[in-house]
Amino acid sequence: MFGNVFRSNNIAIILKKSIHYRFFCLSLLWAITYSSGLTAQSTDTIPPATPAEAEEDYSIYDNVQFTDTGTRRYCSPKVFDQSPQRFLSVAWDAQMPYTLQLSAIGSYTDGDNPAIAEEARANYTGGLRLSANIPVISKNSFVWQMGMNYWETRYKLGENQKPATALSTALRNGGLRTLGLNTTIFKPLNEKSFILFQGSSDLNGDYSFSDFQSLRYLRYSAAVIVGRRPNDRKQWGVGVARTYRVGEMNYLPVILFNYTAPNRKWGTEILFPARAHVRRTINPRNLILVGYELEGQSYRIAALSDTERSLEIRRGEMRTRVEYQRQLSGFIWLSCQAGWRYDWSFNADYLENDGKDFFRGFTGNQKYSMLNTLGNPLYFNIGIHLVSP
Amino acid sequence: MKSLSILFFLLIGTWGAAAQDAGDKLIGLWEPSNGKARVKIEKIGNKYYGKIVWLREPLDPQTKAAKVDKNNPDESMRTVPLKGYRMLKDFTFNGTEWTDGSIYDPESGSTYSSVIKAKDDNTLDIRGYVGVKALGRSDVWKRVQVK
Repeated sequence: MFGNVFRSNNIAIILKKSIHYRFFCLSLLWAITYSSGLTAQSTDTIPPATPAEAEEDYSIYDNVQFTDTGTRRYCSPKVFDQSPQRFLSVAWDAQMPYTLQLSAIGSYTDGDNPAIAEEARANYTGGLRLSANIPVISKNSFVWQMGMNYWETRYKLGENQKPATALSTALRNGGLRTLGLNTTIFKPLNEKSFILFQGSSDLNGDYSFSDFQSLRYLRYSAAVIVGRRPNDRKQWGVGVARTYRVGEMNYLPVILFNYTAPNRKWGTEILFPARAHVRRTINPRNLILVGYELEGQSYRIAALSDTERSLEIRRGEMRTRVEYQRQLSGFIWLSCQAGWRYDWSFNADYLENDGKDFFRGFTGNQKYSMLNTLGNPLYFNIGIHLVSP
Repeated sequence: MKSLSILFFLLIGTWGAAAQDAGDKLIGLWEPSNGKARVKIEKIGNKYYGKIVWLREPLDPQTKAAKVDKNNPDESMRTVPLKGYRMLKDFTFNGTEWTDGSIYDPESGSTYSSVIKAKDDNTLDIRGYVGVKALGRSDVWKRVQVK
């Protein structure tokens, strides 16, 4: 009997056929969660109050002094009810079908209307998104985190109305990937002021792990913000960022504004222009965010590149969305997003000198090598996260 | 031989008492780095517990009544006053640090595994973590005394 089972070479298929499969998966998740101690601890071991405690006069603790001299207080990196920070995340992102129009490779000014070399229906665009943010130092006077992320975007393109271009072939074959390292440093200066630094290096392209892209094509982003946290419900700051969030390298001013209303039901989580959300806190374990986020990177397409020059897709998206976050158990949270993916850019540049990037900004007149257009579909994203204390 | 045995047990007993005394330096009044609360740590049996004895904002801004533990996942606890609430529980001293305890965050209603280290007689490093110590956050608490 066991021989037959193992000869089937796929235990999962057998389990799926079983009416107990879902129960098995849930039990496994439950067992992993509890065995790793990730759930909140019980609160039922508190010793009962003694009669002396019940009569304790707490007013004696109103006037105290530090035993040490020179004690300093520092502001926290968060405000009340802010959505939880994520240590580990596993998410799946999917866009609904849309039309993709690719121009021939040429020389175009933004706003030109080049001939369409290929038009195809993208029946599926999406993939896995993994990220980790691990605290290296996490103290009240200094927080340093290192993170890693891996995002893949796979394309399932329908029948062409025109012959396939090299770009669509690359998208069909492997899709686009981002593998990055990032760091976040929060340095409170005192009880009300802080400096925030974020930096990342990302390897973006149509590479695979068996045909890995050279680290020469890493793209670097960074932001530094100087801010104030006047109270537990408000945090604001201004700064500057070098970003690829709209596909091309750009330097932008940044505004941070995290706020929670006195009734603790509403708030904002804003890092403009990267993202801005209004938050509705149902309770500390359930919240809804409504707003947008800019996502983007510059992706090297190996099939159209060589050692002299590098073709990079300047992919930028604006995602207006509703996100629901809820605690599943202890420190395990679920997030569900639904929204509209707006095509900010899918144009391409040939980068000379072996992929050396350049700054175009909003006013530069450098020509594009491709002017591509994507339809604007609905998208969904669902993720499970291990969140921070 | 009998004298040696007595000496041995005396030494062990003295060492154990000294370790317990060292653990008792956790007892006292402490203030977290955010200055929003003061926590009195006491010893009950062989374990250490810390209860909130002072809040910078003692009244709930919505109800104007004394703050209660309204974010507790256990509904039956949501009317318990925060003042007097034991937010540190079950810590035992192992000779160098206080372990096997938990810390409760009334802001989120979450309870974390926790370990406490004394940086000096008046400074504690309290770490709350999720599963493993690497996935956590530390806070520095300072000893305060009633004027």
